[in-house]
Amino acid sequence: MGEEEKAEEKPKEKFTLHFPTENNLSIMGIVVGALVAILPWLPAIVKGVGAIVVILWGADCVRKTARYGLGTGVPSIGVLAMGYGLVGGITGIVIGSVPVLYGVGIVEPAVLIGVAAVGAVGYISGILANSEKFIGMKIPGLERGMAELGMAGALAVIIESSMIAGTWNASVVIPNIIENGVIATIFILSGFGMLQPFNSCLGADERRGRTLLVSVEIGGLCCIIFGVVASLMPAPSGILQGIQLIILGVIVWILFYSSYVRACLREAHAVVGTGLIKTMR
Amino acid sequence: MDPIILVLILVSAVIGGMMASLGVHLLPVGGAPAAMATATGVATGCVMLMTGSALTGLFTASAVASFWEFEHANIGLVALSGGVGAMLMIGWTMLVANLLYVFGAGIVPVSGRVAVDPITKESQTEYKTPRTDGHGMPNVSYISGIAGGFVGGFGGALIYVTLENYAHFSPATAGIVAIGIFIANAILAAYNIGGTIEGFHDPKFKERIAVGLFAAFTVSLLCGILVVVATLVFPYLGLGGAL
Repeated sequence: MGEEEKAEEKPKEKFTLHFPTENNLSIMGIVVGALVAILPWLPAIVKGVGAIVVILWGADCVRKTARYGLGTGVPSIGVLAMGYGLVGGITGIVIGSVPVLYGVGIVEPAVLIGVAAVGAVGYISGILANSEKFIGMKIPGLERGMAELGMAGALAVIIESSMIAGTWNASVVIPNIIENGVIATIFILSGFGMLQPFNSCLGADERRGRTLLVSVEIGGLCCIIFGVVASLMPAPSGILQGIQLIILGVIVWILFYSSYVRACLREAHAVVGTGLIKTMR
Repeated sequence: MDPIILVLILVSAVIGGMMASLGVHLLPVGGAPAAMATATGVATGCVMLMTGSALTGLFTASAVASFWEFEHANIGLVALSGGVGAMLMIGWTMLVANLLYVFGAGIVPVSGRVAVDPITKESQTEYKTPRTDGHGMPNVSYISGIAGGFVGGFGGALIYVTLENYAHFSPATAGIVAIGIFIANAILAAYNIGGTIEGFHDPKFKERIAVGLFAAFTVSLLCGILVVVATLVFPYLGLGGAL
């Protein structure tokens, strides 16, 4: 456990100063998300890191599409991502659990079929939304943004299901995640991780680095909540997996929330206390 | 699985998705300007209104579906009950919003886009505050919103009940997949509207509805294909029971 915590703390310095560029973050999201998704035997703490990266990617996609103004508010595109994510994630989980494709041993890549399919659906809906002949939103890069958001949503559903249940095999996920309604928590918490950062930070002085700090912080909160849920689940999940997630979540949340508050205080013109809450300086 | 059933699932996903899109176009959505009572409609986005009402519709539909044994529900009745649930929810939302506008902000519900209410023939222009785009929900917007809630709720419940009855999804899975398809369509419709709309009398409705329905058709067809693939694959998992 100690080593993994240290591994978690390392990227902190780098992350708070500069996040990867938009393209690099997309590649990182796809690679890390796909790797974590196709290796369902990983410990929950690694899946938690994967989920945080996927949520970060989704939040960056929301930022790069919503900054041109959607006309209906930022939350709509984050909820859209999770709407596609539900359809694609459940399809992927079911396809990936087919005995011929599943159980080859260590790597189960068939789950990515659902992710790729929902990426295609997202791209087509992006064409529909952006094209002059159809809805005509005229947002640069909306096609790519919607495809990436669909994929991020599906990966978030798959990784978080496997985080909580221990594996994403349909025989475990359907009774333990879908039937009892945990999927609704996954839906709205991942949705918040993607839509909330830009929704709360948007404005004239919005800065990408500061916005993305909120996303990682919400990822940490998700890990805490999913850790509590996971510790109540039967095997292959359980209390051990849950505690790993809670520890990861608490560390990530404290680090990134405090650095977000510090960034806000540093970049604000002036911070004036109202007297109701004790201010930091 | 019987090919007719697969086609039925696909058709119901497409019809349900298109009805969701039509429902969103009928709602009186005010967005941010309505929060300051300077535009007609409820002061929130399409997505919030439609998701709230359609989820209520899904709850009533699943409650009604539980009166039958699993997989033997009457499709028409369940879908209708979904429509009624959504109608009630959107009706209460608009009523309370109107109460707040009238007694809280002290304004008269009035349409900004038409001079005469097309249903009650009441004159609108005199009551409109200059430089605003109407306020609150006038009669025509209220009726349009109720119709929108019914259509949207009916569509969502139709997807739900078909998935439960014919695709052999369990109620929970059917509900969550129906929400996924519904939300994708509702949000594309919201982008099509682009902020605010008053209802079927709004000139924007006639202008944009064809494009909105086409987008909904394409997206629900693609989502329907994904669901059909999942339905086809499921029996090979050897789990028994329902997805």
